[in-house]
Amino acid sequence: MTAETTDRRASAPSYPLLLAGLAVAALACLAGSVATGYAPLDLKAATGDLLAGRQSLPALVLLELRLPRALLGLLVGFSLGLGGAAMQGLLRNPLAEPGVIGVSAAAALGAVLVFYTGLAGSFALALPLGGIAGAVLATLMLLALARRGAGTMTVILAGVAISSAAGALTALALNLSPNPYAALEIVFWLMGSLADRSLDHVWLVLPPMAVGWALILAGARALDALTLGEDTAASLGFDLGRLRLQLIAGTALAVGSAVAVTGAIGFVGLVVPHLLRPLVGHRPGRLLLVSGLGGAVLVLLADIGLRLVRVQPELKLGVVTAVIGAPFLFSLIWRLRRSA
Amino acid sequence: MALLLGLVVAATPALARPHRIVSLNLCADALVLRLADRADVRSVSWLARDPENSVVAAEAASVPVNHALAEEVAALQPDLVVVGAFTARSTVALLRRLGMPILELRVPQDLDGVRAQIRQVAAAIGQTERGEAMIAAMDDRLAAIRRPASPPLAVVLRPNGFTAGRGSLVDEILRQAGIRNLAAEQGLENFGEIPLERVALSGVRLLILNQPENRAPSLGEAVLDHPILAALPDLHMVRVPARLWTCGGPEVADAAALIAAAARQAEGEGP
Repeated sequence: MTAETTDRRASAPSYPLLLAGLAVAALACLAGSVATGYAPLDLKAATGDLLAGRQSLPALVLLELRLPRALLGLLVGFSLGLGGAAMQGLLRNPLAEPGVIGVSAAAALGAVLVFYTGLAGSFALALPLGGIAGAVLATLMLLALARRGAGTMTVILAGVAISSAAGALTALALNLSPNPYAALEIVFWLMGSLADRSLDHVWLVLPPMAVGWALILAGARALDALTLGEDTAASLGFDLGRLRLQLIAGTALAVGSAVAVTGAIGFVGLVVPHLLRPLVGHRPGRLLLVSGLGGAVLVLLADIGLRLVRVQPELKLGVVTAVIGAPFLFSLIWRLRRSA
Repeated sequence: MALLLGLVVAATPALARPHRIVSLNLCADALVLRLADRADVRSVSWLARDPENSVVAAEAASVPVNHALAEEVAALQPDLVVVGAFTARSTVALLRRLGMPILELRVPQDLDGVRAQIRQVAAAIGQTERGEAMIAAMDDRLAAIRRPASPPLAVVLRPNGFTAGRGSLVDEILRQAGIRNLAAEQGLENFGEIPLERVALSGVRLLILNQPENRAPSLGEAVLDHPILAALPDLHMVRVPARLWTCGGPEVADAAALIAAAARQAEGEGP
């Protein structure tokens, strides 16, 4: 096992090269997403009009529909990849991801509550704020349940409890909604989608996401130390309580705001860190940024793909990522079982 | 099977008109209450009293309502139960096992379907003449619609976020209103979603929405907040009251007239 790990390290590409490559890939996917759509759009003319400040129809479509969709794909993918890597590093469990600690479900509950009580209609930011509020609440609950040296197992169990409670409350909210289509809408919404979002959504989620990213990335060195075990990390001077708070809060902010505007997009936070881990020599600190970029690439590719297949109604993004991710999860569990 | 049963039920009442009619479906309520003698109607669905979705809210006020529960229906000892093809399925199955005469109404796909359904219900309750009168009145109203000279392109957005394409009654209503349906022209069958990008780039002049507006918050209507709709030049909106096109009844003629008037306005042809 040790020999194999050393081997992988030796064959892994250099970290800056890997980062640069993934960043270029993410930007290429961003451009590809802008170029993909349902109606023919003269991109050159549209860009020209946009830069010249002309309010032509192609420029409007580019600015109000194509660009927000691509940017949100990038931001959401980055958040999910980063959040997944952070959770896997923190819990030292390859099965951990934001969905596992209950952040996704609680964010969905927050968004659903805000929406169907009519609060979302009162001011524009209500919906994402509801999602973030749900995520923050879940985080606080998680911290209360799993404080003071609680083991990984406690954290995961607390996450499962929060997830199922949030799921039940979401169902209750739909039961009580005066809108007869609420259940249908929310079932579809929970499958995750980037369709017909606007630049308002981008500006809305960018600040909380950026804060979340900063919190997570600042924990990189502590995560590396954590691989030596909690006691060793503590003896090296890393405050594990603070690290846990920092990473969970960061994940709540980034993933909570992502879920609030796009619905739940699963498996990204699970698959991406796992795929990229060998490339960074299994160092969780380095994995963070790499995994964020990888997440952006995966979400953008999935979103381009579902628009190219032209199935109507549009395939849901969360469904596509799940179709890619589920077999992966199975193989992962299979391998874990064998090595156990 | 349902059709066969409908025909069997439809064929018998000429001999003995049913006098204890119970309706379990909003769309059936509208036909039953307007075609049958009031004394023959024992109960209609509770939705019939909702003025926003029902065209017979006033008539339903004096008739007992049911919630499509088998128990309340059986207690009324109906000699005809009119049900919808997609609602209260378990109740219908139970009533059928109890041997109750059931008339099942399907969702009409076009105006011929609307006419056929009016005839079917009228025959079942022994009021064929009233049925023919209802159809004639609807056809008169359809004939009186003033359609726009040049048909503008329109798109429908239902409260569930779906749009109506080919093969739906809504599409036929739009045709009767003299406008072009973007979803149908893009090859969408029945109901589905249409990306905003297509709406923006296809030159849609008229957005057809449901009334009431946002009474219950819906994600479907949230699309309307997208800034691109406000930015599109020459985009007009018209809201059709839900009761006019929720069911395939004669009131779809009024929905078509309303949309035609809005289309003429959008094209600058005056009201």
